[in-house]
Order: sequence, then C-alpha cells, then structure tokens
Amino acid sequence: MSESKKTFVITRFDPDKDEVPKTQEYEIPVHEDWKVLDAINFIKDEVDPTISHRWSCRMAVCGSCGMMVNGEPKLTCKTRLSDYGDRVIVEPLANFPVIRDLVSELDGFMEKFQAVKPWVIRAKEEAGAVSASNPPKSSKGTFVQSAAELAEFKQFSLCINCMLCYAACPVVANEPEFLGPAAIALGHRYNLDSRDQGLDERNEVFRGEGTVFSCSFANECSEVCPKNVDPAAAVNQAKFGAVIDWATSLVLPRPGASKEGGK
Amino acid sequence: MRHFLLRIEPVIWLLFGQGLLIGTMLLTGWVLVVGIGVPLGLIDPAALSFDRAHALGSNIIGRLVLAALIVLPLWKGAHHLRHLSIDFRGAERDVVVAPILYGIATVASLLGVLAVARL
Ligand code: FES
Repeated sequence: MSESKKTFVITRFDPDKDEVPKTQEYEIPVHEDWKVLDAINFIKDEVDPTISHRWSCRMAVCGSCGMMVNGEPKLTCKTRLSDYGDRVIVEPLANFPVIRDLVSELDGFMEKFQAVKPWVIRAKEEAGAVSASNPPKSSKGTFVQSAAELAEFKQFSLCINCMLCYAACPVVANEPEFLGPAAIALGHRYNLDSRDQGLDERNEVFRGEGTVFSCSFANECSEVCPKNVDPAAAVNQAKFGAVIDWATSLVLPRPGASKEGGK
Repeated sequence: MRHFLLRIEPVIWLLFGQGLLIGTMLLTGWVLVVGIGVPLGLIDPAALSFDRAHALGSNIIGRLVLAALIVLPLWKGAHHLRHLSIDFRGAERDVVVAPILYGIATVASLLGVLAVARL
C-alpha cells in the first residue's frame, strides 16, 4: 500500500484557556485510500490525544462527522483524502458556535428541528370516513401508504442531520435565526406525507419571520448535501405552498387556533 | 410594518418568480430584437413600423404581454435589491428599504399599466 505524507492544519479551541480558536499543524503519513476522518483519528490515536472531534458510524449514516475541509462543509468519513493536496485545513462547521476544537454546539439547531413539528399530525385519531386526507388503516392499525405516496417525500426524509447545509447557507451566516434548509425540508417532508394532516399547523410556522421566504435560493445547501436530499428544492416547494396557502386564505377562512391537532 | 411585509411575502415572491422568468427570457428577447436587431439592421425596420407595432401592442394579448413585460421585472428587481440589501448586513434597515423598493415598484407598475391601457 502506497504511503505519503500530508500536513493537517486543525482548529484548536479550549474554552477554559483560549479567547479565540487557533490552529495546530500535524504532519502524518497517510494511506491513499484514507478518508479525511481516518487521518484525524490517526492524529488523535497516535500523535495528539487532546484533539476533540465527533464521529461514529464511518459510513455516512450518523451525520456526526461534519467539518470544514479546506473551507468546504464535508462529511469527513465520506471525503477522500486523495482529492486534496499536501495541506489539508480542517475546521469545525461554519455558522455554529464552537464548543472545543472541531466540535460545534447544536442546541439551536435542535430547536429549529422541533419548530417544524416533525411528526405525523392527525386532526383526530378516529378512523372516520376514508378519503384522500384520511387514508385507510390496515387491520394491524397502521396507516396504509402506497409506493407512489411514499415517493412523494422519500427524498426529503433521507436527511441525516449532519448540518453541512447550515454551514454552507449564506442566509444562515447572515441571519442565524433563519430556520434553515434541513429543518424546512423536514417540515416539508411531513407536509407531503399522505398520513399527515398538519399542513395548516406547519404553514403557520412557515408564515413566521426567518422561515421559507428568507431563503434567497443560493442553492448551496443542495450542493453540499451528502445524501442528495436537495433541501433547496424543499424550501422552494414550501414557498410555493405558502403562496397557495395565501391564495386559499383569500377565499376560505384559515382554520386558525381551533385546531389542536393530535400530538 | 414587519408584520405587513411578512404577510405580503407570498404575493411578492409570486411576482418575483414570474418576473425572473419574464425578465430572463422574454425581456432578453425583446432587447435583442428592439434594442440590437433593428438598430443594427439585422431585422428589417419595416417589420416594426409604427402601424404594425401599434396593431401588435394594442390588441388584448399584446397589451397583456406588454403589461407583464413592464410590471413583473419591476417586482423582480425590487425583490432582488431588497435581498441584496439584507445580504449586506441590512436585516435592521429592511423595514425602511423594503417599503421604499416595493413602493417604487407599485408606482411604476401603475404607470406602466396606465401607459399600456392608453396605447
Ligand atoms: S461518522 Fe457517521 S456520518 Fe461520518
């Protein structure tokens, strides 16, 4: 197996000692089939055990290993080292507060996720008349969904919450309160779900400040998404949904607060 | 004002989206024909003689096209400039900037529609 050397410039930040993050360089031997994460793990295991970083699955599923690699948000377990030159700069994800070294603070992000009510909302849990908005339950008590209905939202359900899209989004950089790509895509995923009846509740959220219309369609989120969720498409479909919602509100009164919804 | 801006967002976005389409496609073609093709003699000026142009522009479809050509790009421009202002750290001043830009677009749209109606 061929080996070469690469220098890694890694952000270091100890909240107890440092005012601002600094960088530290490590020159290590690398294998050509390594991912960026393998190199960081090597440094932590063999060179400097004080480095903090997050990872778990090593197969682009858990979404915890997102970092900036040469200034671009990347899943480090999916990013081939051979695509980079002799100097690789690794930083914590942009647009998030840093806790330590390469680990960023996610609390605000989790709140945004909850804001879009990411669960199937049923107007009432009764099995009344069967209609398009009230699909039949199977004998096992689950909701029946056809393959075509699943295909409606499947793409938007593949998000692994890696937050690369937040690190890439110029609107998040400018306006940290912006609900952001992944959260809007998640809300939209439930709006498209044939079992869900929470469209009005989520449109209420999407009508608020710093949501769908703050997006200026830079499309960076979809560029960096490692799972091809295409959050930019979701956000812009949600915008169109808000237009329809506005148009219908002209002729039909909004359901308003009377909807308590089944949580 | 913030609340009002938030409420009209869907409408503005709709005008903006259509303006984008018209602005990039129809308006470009329009400029190519009227602004470049005819002055350079690539297109026979007789094709755009007053009588023909007037007949084209003053029937109902012609009027609708002209109105769309004037109005929609105005909203596209206003909305783009507003977002440009926000992107340059202008979230605070947006309550002032947005009404001015949309105000200009409204007035100009009305004037445009009036002009088309009087053709
Ligand atoms: S380690 Fe799980 S996604 Fe990279």
